[in-house]
Amino acid sequence: MEIVVCVKPVPDAETRLRIGADGSTMDIEAVKFVLAGYDESAVEQALLLKEANPGSKVHVISAGPAPRTEEVLRASLALGCDLATWVELPAGVSPDPIATARAVVRAVSAAPHDLVLCGKQAGDDEAGLFAGALAELLSIPDFSAVLDLRWDPGTSRLRFQRSVEGGLEKWEAPTPCVVALQQAWNDPRTAKLPAILKSRKLPITKVAFEAPPASSGTTRSTKFELPPPRTGAKLIEFKTPEEAAQKLVKILKEEAKVFP
Amino acid sequence: MPDFALTPEQESLRDLARKFARTEMAPHAAECDRTPRFPEEIYRKAFDLGLMNLNVPAEFGGSGLGSFDQCLIVEELAYACGGMTTSIIANCLALEPILLGGTAEQKLRFLAPFCAEYHLASFALTEPSGGSDAGSMRTLARREGDHYVLSGEKCFITNAPHASLYTVFATVDPSLRHKGVTAFVVPRSAKGVLPGKDEEKMGHRASSTSTIRFEDVSVPATDRLGAEGEGFSLAMRTLDQTRTPIGALATGIAQAALDHAAGYSLKRQTFGKPISEHQAIQIKLANMVQAVHAARLLTWHAAWTIDRGQKGTLESSIAKCYASDAALHVADEAIQTFGGYGYMKEYPVEKLLRDAKLTQIYEGANEIQRTVIARELLRGYA
Repeated sequence: MEIVVCVKPVPDAETRLRIGADGSTMDIEAVKFVLAGYDESAVEQALLLKEANPGSKVHVISAGPAPRTEEVLRASLALGCDLATWVELPAGVSPDPIATARAVVRAVSAAPHDLVLCGKQAGDDEAGLFAGALAELLSIPDFSAVLDLRWDPGTSRLRFQRSVEGGLEKWEAPTPCVVALQQAWNDPRTAKLPAILKSRKLPITKVAFEAPPASSGTTRSTKFELPPPRTGAKLIEFKTPEEAAQKLVKILKEEAKVFP
Repeated sequence: MPDFALTPEQESLRDLARKFARTEMAPHAAECDRTPRFPEEIYRKAFDLGLMNLNVPAEFGGSGLGSFDQCLIVEELAYACGGMTTSIIANCLALEPILLGGTAEQKLRFLAPFCAEYHLASFALTEPSGGSDAGSMRTLARREGDHYVLSGEKCFITNAPHASLYTVFATVDPSLRHKGVTAFVVPRSAKGVLPGKDEEKMGHRASSTSTIRFEDVSVPATDRLGAEGEGFSLAMRTLDQTRTPIGALATGIAQAALDHAAGYSLKRQTFGKPISEHQAIQIKLANMVQAVHAARLLTWHAAWTIDRGQKGTLESSIAKCYASDAALHVADEAIQTFGGYGYMKEYPVEKLLRDAKLTQIYEGANEIQRTVIARELLRGYA
């Protein structure tokens, strides 16, 4: 089967983020961008399907500026994706999820696809809008919070589960469709050193970015601010666990008034 | 202009090593040190990811990295555990004599099957009566027709109890001193190869070290590396290649010690403020970070020199010697920053001091490094 995976470069979780001088963007100086979280699960799902269905191909697509976008595409190739397409955005352009869907839809349409995978939401803004927007633009169905996706070649249908409040739903769907994956349920693999070296030499198809019309209703961020520093932590000094528990109960009753 | 920026490829290699070190090695470092335990499952994972036979060309199944890229990886691994790193990179040391001295046929015969699966190899040079004085070697290689008979004992051999292949240095005639030393490839399965029991060590306790006895071991002449008498030069050329990654290993330990000390100094309060605000601690941290930077840059410079095809004897000796001394000093100062807590095994810094100590001793003791450095230096004035 032909599988397209859409990924987004996001700041490494260990990066210390700073707000830019204009107050409405993040300062990306010295920020390390990676393939993360939900997207790793999407790539892993694509590779699992490829392994279960010999002859399958995985095509990874990303829209974003240099060099971070090339790096997540190469990371995906190192993991085992077969083809990569980069919709190159000029530096400083950071489209919202719907504009991003518009930016990649042409590349996705041009790639043969039985299935389009992506993370349920991006690891940075966590908007969770991209999959729905892309499905709408492609006029195909979409499913979110999916795990354990399998392909039944006999019926040409997908079988999967969706995580919902308090449990799991079992689903079946026709292809093609857009599927947004739940995070880290499939223990994403680590690329091996020889594959990393090889991925540096693989071709990446570059596609020029066509700016969406100004009336396309995109949102923009107006202000970032850091959460206020946390205060009010109280250390209980104690010699025995009994003493600690007694002091804690007293505070909960008399100061926090959690119970009478 | 020299460029200190890493390429995207080097960043990816470093990221791989960092991820492996922090998720697979670090969580087990304290336990493997305390028990002690040789965590073979971690070494298998390192092999699976291509982090083990770093210096072996890809055509023989290795990772085919140059010295600089090896150093980037080794520093990251050592940040998590020096002992595990020693066991992971021991193959590089053991296989280097085959890379440098083996014929095309020998490389294919020994390296390709070895690197195709998880295997460990050991470099067997040191003897009970002499480490630095390798010319005084006593392990004998007696020629008998189309084979040699090896007899003698090696000691302090990394991974020896777990290895399947040894590169062994023995002498065809002790009276020839250096000129009698000859190198052989000996499989563990050969009759009369007897690794000893694990030594109890001060540090690097996740690694395994033992003696190996050779009791009339028959080795085909076709398994000799180079000609008779070329072994000493082969051993020295091997160490020229592998000394620089020891500088990287020491740098990793030093960086870990600095990070622990700096992090602790921001949290620990005395006299009503974090100890990081006391000048006494600031001066310590400032000296520590200087040593770490210098260790890394000297290591990078030595690796860069070697990757340009030069021998790099002076540069690699400086890097190994300086970085290992720096690691011991920085680990010592990290313990001092932690005070009494630093001396307790519950905290991570005392292990760093014990692990740092070995880097001053193995792969050429720092006294030998200084002899080499002085010799190379004075050559320029003679």
